[in-house]
Amino acid sequence: MQLAVNILVLAAIYALISCGYVLIYRVSRVLSLAHGELMMLGAYGLYLTASLFDGHPLVAVAAALVLAVLVGVAVYLALMWRMTGESVLAAVLATIALGILLRGAMILAFGTQTQHPLRDLGWSNASLELAGARISTVGLTLIVATLAMYGALFAFLRLSRWGIRMRAAGQHPLLAAQRGIGLHGIYAASWGLATLTGGLAGMLLAADAGLEGTLVTIGLKAFPAALVGGLDSLVGALLGSLAIAAAEVFVIHYVDPLLSEVVPFVVLLAMLIVRPWGLFGTREELDRV
Amino acid sequence: MRLLELQNVEAVYHRVVTAVQGISLAVPQGAIVALLGTNGAGKTTTLRAISGFIGLDDARVTEGTVLLAGERIENLAPHRVTARGVALVPERNKVFENLTVEENLQAVVARRGARFARERVYELFPALARLRRREAGYLSGGERQMLAIGAALACAPRLLLVDELSQGLAPLLVDELMRRLLAIRAETGISMLLVEQNAQVALDVADYAYVMENGRIVLDGTPQRLRGHQDIQEFYLGGAGRRRSYRDVKQYRRSRRWYG
Amino acid sequence: MSGYFRVRYAQDTALLDSRTQKGWFAIFVVALACYPFLANALWLDLANQVLLGVVGAVALMLLTGYAGQISLGHAGLLAAGAFTTGILFKEFAAPVWLTLPASALVGAALGLAFGLPSLRLRGLYLAVSTLALHFIVIHAAAEYETRRGFSTGIVIDSPIYEAWHWYFALLAAAAATVLFSLNLLRSRTGRAWRAIHGREAVAEALGISVPHAKVSAFVISSAITAMAGCLFAYFRGFVSVEAFSLYLTIQYVAMIIIGGMGSILGAILGTVFVVLLPYAIEGAMARLGLAEVLSSVVFAVNYAAFGLAMVLFLVFEPQGLVGIWRRVRNWFVLWPFKQRAVR
Repeated sequence: MQLAVNILVLAAIYALISCGYVLIYRVSRVLSLAHGELMMLGAYGLYLTASLFDGHPLVAVAAALVLAVLVGVAVYLALMWRMTGESVLAAVLATIALGILLRGAMILAFGTQTQHPLRDLGWSNASLELAGARISTVGLTLIVATLAMYGALFAFLRLSRWGIRMRAAGQHPLLAAQRGIGLHGIYAASWGLATLTGGLAGMLLAADAGLEGTLVTIGLKAFPAALVGGLDSLVGALLGSLAIAAAEVFVIHYVDPLLSEVVPFVVLLAMLIVRPWGLFGTREELDRV
Repeated sequence: MRLLELQNVEAVYHRVVTAVQGISLAVPQGAIVALLGTNGAGKTTTLRAISGFIGLDDARVTEGTVLLAGERIENLAPHRVTARGVALVPERNKVFENLTVEENLQAVVARRGARFARERVYELFPALARLRRREAGYLSGGERQMLAIGAALACAPRLLLVDELSQGLAPLLVDELMRRLLAIRAETGISMLLVEQNAQVALDVADYAYVMENGRIVLDGTPQRLRGHQDIQEFYLGGAGRRRSYRDVKQYRRSRRWYG
Repeated sequence: MSGYFRVRYAQDTALLDSRTQKGWFAIFVVALACYPFLANALWLDLANQVLLGVVGAVALMLLTGYAGQISLGHAGLLAAGAFTTGILFKEFAAPVWLTLPASALVGAALGLAFGLPSLRLRGLYLAVSTLALHFIVIHAAAEYETRRGFSTGIVIDSPIYEAWHWYFALLAAAAATVLFSLNLLRSRTGRAWRAIHGREAVAEALGISVPHAKVSAFVISSAITAMAGCLFAYFRGFVSVEAFSLYLTIQYVAMIIIGGMGSILGAILGTVFVVLLPYAIEGAMARLGLAEVLSSVVFAVNYAAFGLAMVLFLVFEPQGLVGIWRRVRNWFVLWPFKQRAVR
């Protein structure tokens, strides 16, 4: 039972992070390898607002979320809009370069010591007992937040007009522009949403284990989850995260804890060989000559 | 009043290949104008120059102007051109395959201050009304064309650009669609520019027509005049076919040189 | 009659085919030979780093710049070479004339592994698969370190100690790599690579075996990279898994991008840029009097500046330093005529 809980928490982490990858890829066909750094930036945002709104933790959290959205939009408007239309490799490298730039800037701005935003907010991470297994409050929040976020995103993309427009822009950007949809606005919105979810994941992780450099590596480990599920499918991201989390937890428990770093990538490699477009992704990218 | 006017437009690909040159044409308000020509004549490039998609394949309008109701729109971004009331029904990739018919129509962002209700699209194309929840990828060719036209109309345009409506469709269906376009024009007063290879069908509905060859306009006139023209008959309408003597052919080639 | 005509096949296949070119090249060779005697210790060390980097950068340029196969696993291959050297040295006390070929073999074998996904995948997915393989290789290396108790790394005795000995050794290695690559690119294999980079379907229609070309690109490039890793191990005298992070891969990718894809000269220029950038920043910081303030986070400044440089090149100068060089050269060649910019 404890194993199941661990899997669920880990899957929630991966799912919340990978929906950011999926959102950006689905809408603008860019693989953002800066997501880990944006996650960490979101967490630092919480650290900032926690000290800014001292004594009003809920305001701080809300402010941090708004900040995350603005940062995502800013990243698009400052850099990524220039990459629309360039080759895929150039856009990916631009995100890698952005990630490096952000990491350097964050260290310069905030230093290298571990921060504990949860303490700053005045909350504590109590351990709860649930059906015979232990789970931290943050872990539970993670699961709830992930489910809520996915639910909201599904509803938005399926039912709202702007969600439909985002899906349209992801399929045929040209046709979307011909139908009056302003692509830059859509792309900026997708970056904002992605940074929101990533930032939220970063904040929750920082609340659990403290805010430090290893946050970025978790961001990178979530990336196979997005790919295994299919880079343009939210359902895929959810199931891919479950699959990889399960594999990782089982390997840690039954084989060797040190292998946990590499399990996501082995699963990814296997998937790439067998079914490169993932469980639920669309095939198009690969067959085009 | 001329809704659309091209004055001496030249478009160049990759900065070295001149695709069209000296294109001057006009679409009066409320008129249906046809642009005829074979493959590679430059019709699609002309449409792109009007609709703002000229930037594709590294092309630019290097000379001349494109005026929409007197306003210059050449080299504007596509969604800005759409915002000014120009909607394009493209030749390929006309619909969003993974969206339903209803979602295809919902995705459209109409021109500010204007409306073209979805219900009117369903009235114009009853077949679509029955297929509201069907994913566009599963529609037949004719249904897709109807959806594409419907989505373009949903932009509430002043000018409708239609690229190769007849391509790949059965003749009866093409006739039907052309009649619908006439009905739309009668009801809403939307002006239209139809790019067509099928001259017969286009000349049936158009008020005026231009013929393009090798990137230039070589002939223009009312459908009556064009139908009577010997070259049009021979190259586009399948006319002639009587036996020619050597002298006829030589005479013909000499006169053709003046057009080329 | 003046002009520049080639009337013999030998002229066509020669690397230097005019008197002026040969003259400039001779001057260049002399300058290179005299360099260690004129430069101080810092500049000599920088030159050594550049020469070592050139070997790896040229290998990556062959794979990504010419054959068009995106690979983000470069650090993994360097690590493979370095660790092969380290393991052979520690376990078997193998000398350099054994470790170097062994590294090449290991590199080639890994190149096969890295290259097999390229038969099914392209672009983004290929890059991701190479990334995954990189992590697996690094993990294996880390496993070795912990299991054999070398958690702080493997120390290696190098046969060469003096900096200027290293200079000539690395110069020979870099020159050999460049010469090999230039010849390879003019050969059938090189042309096949360029063809598959352009349009795979067309290459296939022309009778080029696309799988063969892709795999050969990976194998050759990886073998050279692993040899660079071996040299790396001897040069540093020390092998540890921390040195082979994703950041190292990105540095090499930056070298070929900033240098200019599809050009060996680009690989060299890019390497010079990337190696010198941190020192330039340090110098600038000292000039601006910020040295003390930022000394504790100088690596962060390097990070940020490096990311910024990459972004600026990607956005404003996609053809890289080679693009700039060509524009400058054309300006001189055409002078006093101006090059009319085509609209």
